[in-house]
Amino acid sequence: MDERHWLALGTALTLISSGWGTFALGAGRTQSTRWNNALLLVAWLCQSVFLYQRGQRIGHCPLTNLFETVAFLTWALLLTYLLIGTSYRVSLLGFFTAPVVSLLNFFALVAPIDRPNPIPPLGWQLELHASVTLLAYGALGLAAVAAMLYLIQERQLKAHHLGLWFYRLPAMGDLVKVQRRVLAWGFALLTVGLCAGFFVARNGSVDWVKLVWSAGVWVSYLILLLAPSLFGLSSRRAAWFTLGGYIFILMTFWGINSLSHAHRFAV
Amino acid sequence: MSALSSSTPALVCGGLSFHEAPVEIREQAAFSDEALAGALARLREILGLGEAVLISTCNRVEYFGIAADPEQPARRWAEFLTSFREAGAPATAQADFAAHSFHRTGRACVEHLFRLTAGLDSMVVGETEILGQIKEAYRIASEAGMTGKRTNRLFQSSFAAAKAVRSQTRITRGTVSVGSVAVELAERLFGQLRGRTVMVLGAGATSERTARSLQSRGVSFILVANRTHEKAEKLAGELGGEAVLWDRFEERVEEVDIVISSTSAPHYVLTRERLEQVRRRRSGRPLFLIDLAVPRDIEPGVNFLEDVYLYDIDDLESIARANQKERSAEMVRCERILDPHVDRLMAWVAQLGNLPGPGADSDGLPSAA
Repeated sequence: MDERHWLALGTALTLISSGWGTFALGAGRTQSTRWNNALLLVAWLCQSVFLYQRGQRIGHCPLTNLFETVAFLTWALLLTYLLIGTSYRVSLLGFFTAPVVSLLNFFALVAPIDRPNPIPPLGWQLELHASVTLLAYGALGLAAVAAMLYLIQERQLKAHHLGLWFYRLPAMGDLVKVQRRVLAWGFALLTVGLCAGFFVARNGSVDWVKLVWSAGVWVSYLILLLAPSLFGLSSRRAAWFTLGGYIFILMTFWGINSLSHAHRFAV
Repeated sequence: MSALSSSTPALVCGGLSFHEAPVEIREQAAFSDEALAGALARLREILGLGEAVLISTCNRVEYFGIAADPEQPARRWAEFLTSFREAGAPATAQADFAAHSFHRTGRACVEHLFRLTAGLDSMVVGETEILGQIKEAYRIASEAGMTGKRTNRLFQSSFAAAKAVRSQTRITRGTVSVGSVAVELAERLFGQLRGRTVMVLGAGATSERTARSLQSRGVSFILVANRTHEKAEKLAGELGGEAVLWDRFEERVEEVDIVISSTSAPHYVLTRERLEQVRRRRSGRPLFLIDLAVPRDIEPGVNFLEDVYLYDIDDLESIARANQKERSAEMVRCERILDPHVDRLMAWVAQLGNLPGPGADSDGLPSAA
């Protein structure tokens, strides 16, 4: 089977998971997450096959264009959910992770962004830098999903309008816990990934655009992690910053990389 | 074979419930668990039952059994209840019992038990306590040797039907009392209550009940403040918590997660201005405020503060009412789920009645009514 077909299969499975999630939430069957998790595990395996075959074919870690990068990011998002999301009494997060993964993968599959980018061997430092950084973005993405659910719950509790969702989504306390822990993991991975970037051999000048953007993202997440204990940042604001920060990353990732001579995607 | 045992025995039930009988009547008829086993023999004798189960809760006193003469239980139920009354009780008691009782036979009896076990006939629709009470009554009757194949099958089927109703509908969803709504909201806010601290302001009965519910869900520490410090000490002692002087309670709000207030103060005891100062020192930890007092103890404006969630008695009661309404709306679905269970049991009963030979008649029915 062609490597793209594996990604398409993974996307189809996450789409089924999204549909099942919508039905389960509507019908109040939110306890039956075992099948949904199994489905997401198979979807993740399909994406793993895609990344492996693509890597074998191009002779690099599959991060040479935007298409591969999006596929790697959604793979990391699923991996974070499967490793962390299922452990904290909030396996319901999978219902919301699946649509995000489906949407991003669908965009990657239909948009003309899978352009071959023949480049010389990248070296292990660069591959480590790129892959760990994307794993970090996967973890931060899951934190953003948890933050979004928290905000939905918080709004209902504050306004005294307790709809069905209030009782079906995970408890706010659990969501805050997951959000903070995944955020900490994501930040640790981001730190490792960015540090690895400093060891990448460079031929030309320093890539200031990407450096400033990455430093900004890193400092923002550091403040976000410390602010609740240092400045008494409320859980609500922390959730808004977690969600907003990730949307900012998603919105600017491609643009910043286009401006960066060392990170430009082949389009 | 006697004339009685040659007729098909009928499933019968009846008794007093909150639907027909006010509490003054029910309390005169009630049996303690200890008295239940002893009463069964007399119930069987007076009502002419082959098999018998007697259920006694605060909302009902009901019998279920197998009778050769389905009319006899209805005729003599009041007499049975009166036989347990103390000497000197009003002479009208038997008439009162008879006037407030109901009796059913056959399919209507099966439907009644299945609805009862599923919580559909309860004062609080969907409550689950009744299932435990019926199981206990059945256990007592069974151990006393008062049940047989028909009542065994009847009660086992009712337990299975109740399980189906609860797992396939939302009849038990949402809590329907002010205290339990408050506990449920606290659990949704904090995830789990283990390790949380509660402050009780005012030593009223409702706040005490709510505090006990929270404690049963894992709350680890309770502070009690009351204008009369002795009352605070007494309640704190009962709850295993700490009494706080009334003029010092505001300082301690900083360390708690939940405040339950039910003082009789004519003004607010917690204001937005004071809570704003406390909130800054809480490192973003949420604070759940439950105001059960009328007039209210907590300024409504505190709900605008970040990470502070205020619910007063009206808010909690309106959630309880909405939950009750939702449960009532599920009744039709529940009845639909019960129907095939009732059909199956009635088919089994009919099959048993048609069986030739002694197997069909070994009901232990008395030979004379």
